Amino acid sequence: MTAAAPEPKANMGQPVPRYDAVAKVTGRATYGADMPLDNPAYAFLVTSAIAKGRINSFDLDDAKRVRGVIDIVTHENAPKLKESKLFSNGGYAGTTIQPLKSAEIAHDGQIIAVVIAESYEAAREAANRVKVSYSAATPSASFDSPGTTKAAAKGQNAQFKEDPKVGDFAKAFDEAEVKVEASYETPTQHHNPMELFSTSCAWMGDTLVIYEPSQYVYGLKNGVAEQLGIDADKVRVVNPYVGGGFGSRGSMTPRTAIIAGIAKRLNRPIKLVPTRDQGFTIATYRAETRHEIKLGASRDGKLVALRHEGAEMSSRADPYCVGGTKTTTRLYACSNVDSLVSIVRADRNTPGFMRSPPEVPYLFALESAMDELAVKLNMDPVELRRVNDTTNEPIGGKPYTSRSLMACFDEAAKAFGWAQRSVAPRSMSDGDWLIGYGCAATCYPTQMAPSAARVRLQRDGRTRVEIAGHEIGTGAYTVIAQTASERLGVPLEKVSVFMGDSDLPPAPVAGGSNSTASTCSAVMMVCDQIRQRLFKAVMPNESLTDKAKETVGIGQTPANQAARSDRPLDLEKAFDALGVGVVEEYGEWKPEGAPLDSFKAMHSGHARLVGGSAMKDKIAYAFGAEFVEVRVNRFTHEIRCPRLVGAFAAGRIMNPRTARSQLMGGLIWGMSSALLEATEIDQRTARYVNDNLADYLVPVNADVPDVEVILLSEQDDHINPVGAKGLGELANVGTNAAICNAVFHATGQRIRRLPVRLENIEV
Amino acid sequence: MSDMSSSRSSGFDRRAFMAGAAGSALAPMTARAAAQEARAPVAQDPALPVDVTLRVNGQDKRLSLDARTTVLDALREHLKLTGSKKGCDHGQCGACTVLIGDRRVVSCLTLALAAEGQEITTIEGLATSDRLHPMQQAFIDNDAFQCGYCTPGQIMSAIACVKEGHAGTDADIREYMSGNICRCAAYPNIVAAVKQAAPEIMKG
Repeated sequence: MTAAAPEPKANMGQPVPRYDAVAKVTGRATYGADMPLDNPAYAFLVTSAIAKGRINSFDLDDAKRVRGVIDIVTHENAPKLKESKLFSNGGYAGTTIQPLKSAEIAHDGQIIAVVIAESYEAAREAANRVKVSYSAATPSASFDSPGTTKAAAKGQNAQFKEDPKVGDFAKAFDEAEVKVEASYETPTQHHNPMELFSTSCAWMGDTLVIYEPSQYVYGLKNGVAEQLGIDADKVRVVNPYVGGGFGSRGSMTPRTAIIAGIAKRLNRPIKLVPTRDQGFTIATYRAETRHEIKLGASRDGKLVALRHEGAEMSSRADPYCVGGTKTTTRLYACSNVDSLVSIVRADRNTPGFMRSPPEVPYLFALESAMDELAVKLNMDPVELRRVNDTTNEPIGGKPYTSRSLMACFDEAAKAFGWAQRSVAPRSMSDGDWLIGYGCAATCYPTQMAPSAARVRLQRDGRTRVEIAGHEIGTGAYTVIAQTASERLGVPLEKVSVFMGDSDLPPAPVAGGSNSTASTCSAVMMVCDQIRQRLFKAVMPNESLTDKAKETVGIGQTPANQAARSDRPLDLEKAFDALGVGVVEEYGEWKPEGAPLDSFKAMHSGHARLVGGSAMKDKIAYAFGAEFVEVRVNRFTHEIRCPRLVGAFAAGRIMNPRTARSQLMGGLIWGMSSALLEATEIDQRTARYVNDNLADYLVPVNADVPDVEVILLSEQDDHINPVGAKGLGELANVGTNAAICNAVFHATGQRIRRLPVRLENIEV
Repeated sequence: MSDMSSSRSSGFDRRAFMAGAAGSALAPMTARAAAQEARAPVAQDPALPVDVTLRVNGQDKRLSLDARTTVLDALREHLKLTGSKKGCDHGQCGACTVLIGDRRVVSCLTLALAAEGQEITTIEGLATSDRLHPMQQAFIDNDAFQCGYCTPGQIMSAIACVKEGHAGTDADIREYMSGNICRCAAYPNIVAAVKQAAPEIMKG
């Protein structure tokens, strides 16, 4: 076995290679813009050069003269589209700013025209020849700009229900023996998935087919249908592979309905491949945030008071927010807690989900403050976490379904060599390099959503699984195939999985790390329906009630208990008894506590995620601990991160290979977030400055250190039938704080504003 | 409110550039394309198609292209070879990497006309009907990808990296594979894959 395929521990599946591996290494995996179209026309976007104001007029003469131009669409002649509500407020859209509707400009880079031509080259040239006259107003760019507005998140955003609080924070903080008060800041970041924000639309009669990278084909299908004013059954979204999502493709962007409308009018398939820089403004991003943390503790390190106030940027139009206080107020034992989240509006495009949306900024603040508290207490930061570890969250007193936080700290500390740390800042060095060790906790809510699946079993054991899930690089094909193989007892190579197509049974958004738990629970349930049919056929006289539960695994039995039937079915015999060649079952699964309208919402493309801190009588999170070594050059202040060690516990690990890869990628994302990534905003014009992959820094191979991922064995019977907690967004949460804590240890300087840059180090 | 006129166009005239400067500004690629030098830049309008024969994965492909078509767009839009990916169209990400001769190039910054007469190898040209290329197999064995979008470029780049003699150490592999961004960050696994495949590739 290679390092990529760790030996499974208890409650882990086999580290089989990816289902889609051969397709991906041979170039046969087809992404959105790879789909063949019959005689397509090519679209190229023209985007606004101002952030606020209005368009006076277009001069299109020069553009129209370009050979091959078919049409130029502006707000003056654009197809009329209906509005769609914001995703966070129960709709489909990542923004309610609808371009091409009027002359108004709401943000920089807003789509203001679409050029359609016979070739990509002609469309691009004509787009560059479109001349625009604007009346520009002075935009507000970010927090400190004049003209922004600020208001509490509660009441604006349906997903942000309350500011968690308990006890009497003010009194407890006032009386606390040791206090930390500090402010933290995180920057704007863009997902920059490798695949561009393409879309291709082709009408076949009155039916629209959309090829587009999407993390939610049912949401996109229903959202585009709503905007076009047509029946959702007339829209099909196809994307068997997605070139990275990271949250950027969970909600509908305005481009799709626009292109669909133009394709309808021209009666021709249209292919749009926007540029990388356009992707910064026609989709979403992680907004910048600010935090005020107050911690009060007793001399022995026990937290007695905790307050977290967060402020987040959003657009004028939309009250988007991530509200990570739901996590940070519940992570540690503390009886006096207060919190407040506010939204600040400026002339920007609407932000959206980006890998661990709430936890990345909010845990950076909390886990940095915990390190500051450990320093004040002269206490090992690992021990500070141990003293404040808890089995019940403090706000409502609900028990964690399982919580291996300290086991993760202990395993990772051992692997890292934390015991070799010399405690005092600036006390470790190697030549010109100051060495710092740092650590932080990481966590992510365990979420689930209703999902359907269809499974067909043939008598030779060949199995076909259909589910409109999404392969965004997580290994979804692989773990779904493994689930069906285990559950039906058929060899893995006989299982085919079909995903990424809204004509298949609905699956939830591939977001909030819910996919594995949701889709595999649905597939498991439907496989059980097949087993029951076969079981009944072979043993018609046996009571199904007890026997079937025991050997067929009906209901909410954890996968590991039921996966091994003590009575393997003889397939041939069962099919003979049934007198059929194929057994096919369809089923709809919903998690415990899902609202009554869950299945209706599932079909209409509204994901109803349940879990995390929002459950009635329990709270479910995956946990981990991250340790880093940083080296800061005492002369140049160059910062390097040669080692990252993370230990994680996330319930059942379906496939240690794909899980390790995701967690490894997450750790590198965390390192990138701490040291490299920030979208720079020109404060005068409210425009993104570094909107390309050379200036927006993401790690390349030479930036990436030695990364060690430790998977802990954990069993949780209280979350979902599979027993899995989502882990795709678990690893990139704690790293920001771990790195800043290590920078403090190396230099004695506390960095409270990300990313850490050498010009901010004052050794 | 203030009035201003603006266009994202720089005022730079592509037509004049193509008609007048093709021989000089495109020198780095055209110099390698000896067959191209005989072709005078006759097209006044670059949208008028130009005949070109590209040799891709051992086969000659006759095409009629807009002179501004890149190798990447020729492969993807005209030859239906969509394995090579567009990630930035600026030569910043490496997703479009192909081999021209033995050299790895970003096909988004290479004009198709400049590649005429040269051997282009894409991801589709690596495997035989029953056997993957050792680098493809190594990428699978080491789980060197997640979403898979950068993978064709990574693999083409990795093969060249080995053949250039830049796969001797981990540090070398990291450095010489740094032209290919993997946003999923499979980097340590990519290094492991290159190490695994290198001996077999060097053996020939």
